[in-house]
Amino acid sequence: MKRSISYLLLGAFVLMLAVSTSFAQEFTVEQIVEKANLASYYAGNDGKSDVNMTITDSQGRTRKREFRILRLDIEDGKDQKFYVYFKKPSDVAKMVFMVWKHPDADDDRWLYLPALDLVRRIASSDKRSSFVGSHFLYEDVSGRGIDADTHALVDSSGDYYKIKNIPKSTKGVEFAYYFVWVDKANFLPMKAEYYNAQDELMRIIEALEVSEIKGHPTVVRSVAKDFERGGETLMEFNNIKYDNGLTEDIFTERYLRRAPIKWVK
Amino acid sequence: MGKVAYITLYILVFSLLCTGYAGNVFAGMPEIHGFAEADFGLKIASDDTKRDDYNLFEQRLQLKSAYFFEGENLLVEKSAAVNFKADFVVDEYYSGKTSFDLRELNFSFTPFDFMDTKLGRQILTWGTGDYLFLNDLFPKDYISFFTGRDDEYLKKPSDGARIMLYPKHVNLDLVFIPIFEPNETPKGDRLSFFDSFQGGIAGRDSDRDISKPPRQIKNSVYAARAYRNFGSYEGALYLYRGFDPSPKSYKNEATRQLYYERLDAYGSSIRGPIFDGIGNAEVSYYYSPEDSKGNIRTVQNSMVKYLLGYEKDMGNDLRLGFQYMLEQTLNYKQYRNALLATDYSWDEFRHILTNRITKYFVNQTVKLSVFTFFSPSDMDAYTRPSVTWNITDAWTWTTGADLIWGKDDTTELGNMKKNKNIFTRVRYSF
Repeated sequence: MKRSISYLLLGAFVLMLAVSTSFAQEFTVEQIVEKANLASYYAGNDGKSDVNMTITDSQGRTRKREFRILRLDIEDGKDQKFYVYFKKPSDVAKMVFMVWKHPDADDDRWLYLPALDLVRRIASSDKRSSFVGSHFLYEDVSGRGIDADTHALVDSSGDYYKIKNIPKSTKGVEFAYYFVWVDKANFLPMKAEYYNAQDELMRIIEALEVSEIKGHPTVVRSVAKDFERGGETLMEFNNIKYDNGLTEDIFTERYLRRAPIKWVK
Repeated sequence: MGKVAYITLYILVFSLLCTGYAGNVFAGMPEIHGFAEADFGLKIASDDTKRDDYNLFEQRLQLKSAYFFEGENLLVEKSAAVNFKADFVVDEYYSGKTSFDLRELNFSFTPFDFMDTKLGRQILTWGTGDYLFLNDLFPKDYISFFTGRDDEYLKKPSDGARIMLYPKHVNLDLVFIPIFEPNETPKGDRLSFFDSFQGGIAGRDSDRDISKPPRQIKNSVYAARAYRNFGSYEGALYLYRGFDPSPKSYKNEATRQLYYERLDAYGSSIRGPIFDGIGNAEVSYYYSPEDSKGNIRTVQNSMVKYLLGYEKDMGNDLRLGFQYMLEQTLNYKQYRNALLATDYSWDEFRHILTNRITKYFVNQTVKLSVFTFFSPSDMDAYTRPSVTWNITDAWTWTTGADLIWGKDDTTELGNMKKNKNIFTRVRYSF
């Protein structure tokens, strides 16, 4: 009996070991990157949030941006549509910025200027330019195509997967490589460090606070720090709601010219 | 309202807003935003306008608000809203003349899922050109444009109804403007221009009389646009039935009378990604029903305008844009044959090239912009350099220039060459 119990224990231990090792090795780096991409940019079928940005420049002067962001996933991991309705500062209030994101091609971007009733089309080949003057880049806000980099898992001990990403094309990319720390528990990228060719740290993006919203672990506060230009931007998300039932027609010229009251109020 | 009343109102509203009470005291009132601004434009060429030293010197207070209906009623159900925007202006150019410029006062609602409407005073814009307007024949204020006011003031409001329909395959925009509103064009008091009656660039000596079409139902303006997306490309068809918004035809030469001749326009445009940037093409056929054969020398001929544009994001917050426009006067032979020996004459083709450079510095708080028009056929040019500095979220300082050059006095840009200025604007937004 004693022997059988110890066999059983041994068996259980072996099984546990097998499970735990297979758990650790279950994901290839591509799978981790894909899961991280889905967790951070594709939660729910759609999302709605109020965003407060505090931009602090290298001399400590601050600026505030307030906008409502609406997101609709056309296909998980692929095309998405974004509608950004500015509330503050008042000189840009009611301005709307719309993006049809295509991870495999240039995004389509529009800007609506209410004072002129003008719908402008914006050239978008440069995804690595500052978003509304902040230290976040367009790509940080809408996500960098996962096929744009090669990925290597450099460390999987501890609570995070540390992944090194090297851009396949250096065209229009200011960094040489970057590391991302992905939380093993929920696959949210918690930190990204960007380095130049001299291995100097250029910028950091870090999640400061994560909340679980309708079953989706969500970054609700994050910061981007720029060590080259100096300064940082704090981004805070409020009133986050997933699966609102947003429809594709909201992301058209109709609602650029006439903001959907129901969704921006 | 008298000047004193205006100033009192101005000070009252402004001080209320400055102390930040506007939002709190009137509980339930919609939020009021806007700005206070001081503008000055130093003249750097001499002509015979009202003032020698400057052509822009004013203070303005803009207030804007939107009211969304609340509660449970039909108005809420139909997403009804009232939009308001108005400027109180003290114009030192006219010795402190005050004016109230109502820019928007309209009622918008969605009667059906497939339809939006906007009734009242509103700004109307469509078309793909950058400072070049082919199918957008809605009123513009070129006096604001050439003196250095904010771009917002290039568009003049229209009083009318706009119905926007969104059936499945194509979107429709229908505009009805009961009373034709022309462009604001130089008259000689603030901006000098070529006046054929004076035989040259004229200022206060210009005494032409411009007559608007009589206020009759048959003189209403209609405009329509049908548009849709083809993937990333946006296609549109345009229609306009109204009057030429700038006075180009003569009603009575003896009494120096000009007028806005009837104009119908038919056009189309396409815009979308091309060569790593955004390209656009637009065409418009201007039909002049009062001179359809082109043989009346005092009335503008029919025309065709073609536009090609391209804009590219160069990275590092630098954007470049280029446009080429060709204007062709139709029935040109008939026009030439009808001319008298003493008449000024225009070319059959006019070519215009434009370039826009936009570059941001210091976390996008400093914007450098240079827009240049150049016509190789007219041998004239107009360049608009400007620097805008967002000092804080509230304070903005802009300075720039309107530099106009022309070989001749008669050409479209060249006739404005005595209006060169350097302007500056300081704005506090709230």
